[in-house]
Amino acid sequence: MTQALFYILAGVIVASALLVVTVRNLFHCALALALTMFGVSGVYLYLGWEFLAAVQVLIYVGAVTVLIIFGIMLTRQVMDDKARVMNNQVLLSLLAAGAVALVLYLVIGHSDFQYSNHPALTAAATAPAAEASAYADEVSSLAAGLLKPQNGFAFAFEFVSILLLSALVGAVVVARKDPS
Amino acid sequence: MTEVPIVHYLYLAAVLFVIGIFGVLARKNAISVLMGIELMLNAVNINYLAFAKYWGGGNLTGPVFAVFVITIAAAEAAVALAIVISIYRQLKSANVDDAHNLRG
Repeated sequence: MTQALFYILAGVIVASALLVVTVRNLFHCALALALTMFGVSGVYLYLGWEFLAAVQVLIYVGAVTVLIIFGIMLTRQVMDDKARVMNNQVLLSLLAAGAVALVLYLVIGHSDFQYSNHPALTAAATAPAAEASAYADEVSSLAAGLLKPQNGFAFAFEFVSILLLSALVGAVVVARKDPS
Repeated sequence: MTEVPIVHYLYLAAVLFVIGIFGVLARKNAISVLMGIELMLNAVNINYLAFAKYWGGGNLTGPVFAVFVITIAAAEAAVALAIVISIYRQLKSANVDDAHNLRG
């Protein structure tokens, strides 16, 4: 029963992702993208990452999609309904995407990913106190994973905040009207 | 209750990634290309979180990387849309094919 939920989510994700890349109207593309992001956050929920599912909804549905819709509205005048939405390398793109799909299919099929647990981990995972279960909830364990010095991500975590700031300033500078 | 095998997550992510590649390569509008990139980033995140759940054994590197991907995707979307708006001001077009000023 609960497995059906995953396959329904997968169907929604794939169908709306196909809509994102094929629909003519850019605005409808953005709405389909929001639906895809909701589906992906549903998959996160299904996997048990509640906090990341909430973050996914907040950032992707709440921020990125709205940003994209703003971008569409600001560049809208040029779009007419008769213009082609695809460039003249659709066949080549299909070929490239198909090649990547084939490689991914072969790699996944020939790997030992069929096991739901890593063969070496099933015994080992239970023995040492697993890091995640050392904390009461997902947020605390994720915070420990990000900020504990022995995990090695503390510097990257701080650096990402600098990256966000510079991206913000850079976006403002790039999009600003030329004063001259 | 038997769980969903991890390969199904991988196949879902692979399909999403391939759809994103097609969107990036075949669409004309720069904003559509950006949406394709977002699809590909989300496919990667599904893989990270599925592996962290099934194979991680309590290791938190997967979700930590997912957090970084989400953060940097947001920064990337902001900068990319600023560039698109700037290109639109210069060229009166948001199509990637029209932005060929640097072609020799």
